Amino acid sequence: MILREVAFSRCGDKSDVSNVCVFPYDPADWPWLRGWLTAERVAEKYRSVAHGPVHRYELPVIEGLNFVLERALGGGASSSLRMDTYGKCLQSLVLDLEVPDGPDGPPSRNGAA
Amino acid sequence: MSKRSARIGTGSAHTYDRLPPAVALADASAVDHLVFDRVGEGSLIKWQLDRDADPARGYDGQTEEVARTFARHVAAGLTLIGSFGGANPEAAGVAAAKAFAEAGATGTKVGIVVGDDVRRTLTDLDPVLPELGRHFNEVADDVITANAYIGAEPIVDLLDQGARMILGGRLCDASLAVAAACHDLGWALDDWDAVAMTTLVGHLLTGGSGLTGGGFADPPVRVVPGLHDLGFGMAEVEPGRFTLSKLAGTGGMIRTDVVKSRIAYEITDPARYLTPDVAADLSQVRVAQVGDDRVEVSGITGAARPDTLRVLVGMRYGWKAVAQITYGGPGCVDRARLAEEVLRKRMEPMASEVEEFRCDLVGCNALFGDGYAGGPPAEVTVRMAARCTTQEAAAQLAEYGTYLYWGPAGGGAMEGRVEPAVHITDVLLPRASVPLSVEVVTA
Repeated sequence: MILREVAFSRCGDKSDVSNVCVFPYDPADWPWLRGWLTAERVAEKYRSVAHGPVHRYELPVIEGLNFVLERALGGGASSSLRMDTYGKCLQSLVLDLEVPDGPDGPPSRNGAA
Repeated sequence: MSKRSARIGTGSAHTYDRLPPAVALADASAVDHLVFDRVGEGSLIKWQLDRDADPARGYDGQTEEVARTFARHVAAGLTLIGSFGGANPEAAGVAAAKAFAEAGATGTKVGIVVGDDVRRTLTDLDPVLPELGRHFNEVADDVITANAYIGAEPIVDLLDQGARMILGGRLCDASLAVAAACHDLGWALDDWDAVAMTTLVGHLLTGGSGLTGGGFADPPVRVVPGLHDLGFGMAEVEPGRFTLSKLAGTGGMIRTDVVKSRIAYEITDPARYLTPDVAADLSQVRVAQVGDDRVEVSGITGAARPDTLRVLVGMRYGWKAVAQITYGGPGCVDRARLAEEVLRKRMEPMASEVEEFRCDLVGCNALFGDGYAGGPPAEVTVRMAARCTTQEAAAQLAEYGTYLYWGPAGGGAMEGRVEPAVHITDVLLPRASVPLSVEVVTA
């Protein structure tokens, strides 16, 4: 199972920074997502895109994790040589992360919810 | 006298956004203000170059059309607030007033915000541009634009003076709604919680049809009704909360999942969202579905606005070449990789003129590098992009790209282009060094 089955994402751009925010569909999965989706995990997935550090911020009431990827847009949209200069497509990659099954996975999918 | 609630709708999210959804809000008398974001990070560069070529130009080319389209609504009390001014707010204001008069809305006051162009101030103060590590005057010859983000203060001033269309250059998108709401509700611009809340109103409304589901559909997990004809959203602002909705019968939806994703759009630390007006804390924001296509948002607080204003500096940055060729069928990825090799070898002798180069296989790795392992594609496009010090070098590279027709077998759909490269960097200026002024032109 991949993250796309239990969460959605949205990205935006500012200068050479892309932010990717991830929200679980089911509130039951929020505590799991908060513990599992670390900045390190996201940085590893985006390693050939984001050439700077990845920071994680929380939106605890609306249950979202905001990942800020530095140096991710090839210098910024105006001068970027990337095809997707604004990084509008970047949000989809995080949803490809393989999610564990069973007790270490999202509660909505393992009957523990 | 202040109203009990302020009603604000989306005018646009960018230049040449669709007008009909905003017209529908005005026709229904559903809002008192429409907020129009018109500037992207790079758009002022284009407008400044337009103005350099012709002093009468350099503003949003749709300004007159917008004035004409909404003339009857403006005559009935609607206000239009937006960054139509581009690099020439005075000319935009005069053009808008003329368009209102021609459309019969004689007497309409157009308010103009002037002062975001800070090139002279930067020359005088000569600050270090942090990203480049160089003083402004060392790179001044390459500078095209330098504009400070402008907040709600001058807009409120113009609303107080009775202006019905208010325009400026780099007006902060969120500030358009801050001004409208705080004016209507009699809120002070140092009521930081109120300013923070209305900042989020502006952030959401100037995202255009993103608020009603644009850019959200991912079937089958996320389905948006009426995606072909999305309406624009509107906000009813009250003390401590605002309610988002849209007109009945328009496409899209106002739903908490979409609203949550739009709150997170283009933010870094949600506890410290900085604008010219406030340091907003969005980290504890709450959203609640309070009806069909109605979402209530609350829980936003704020702290004092920054003492500095962010300035975007747009500069010439050499020349950009982009070229591509496409291969298909069995072995297409191997042939594409060979094409990349050929290109890199041909480029070697001109390496000193190439500042940056990348080659992507569109269909394989252009978006995510090796982050996503797809299966073998049916077709793949080799896309080369380079930034060169001279136009000649860029043109040569673009030609090498299209000449790949004589490279690996079965290549086609070649394209190559050269364009001036620009770069945007930023710097902070003390607020006091950016004097703003307003003027009113009457149609």
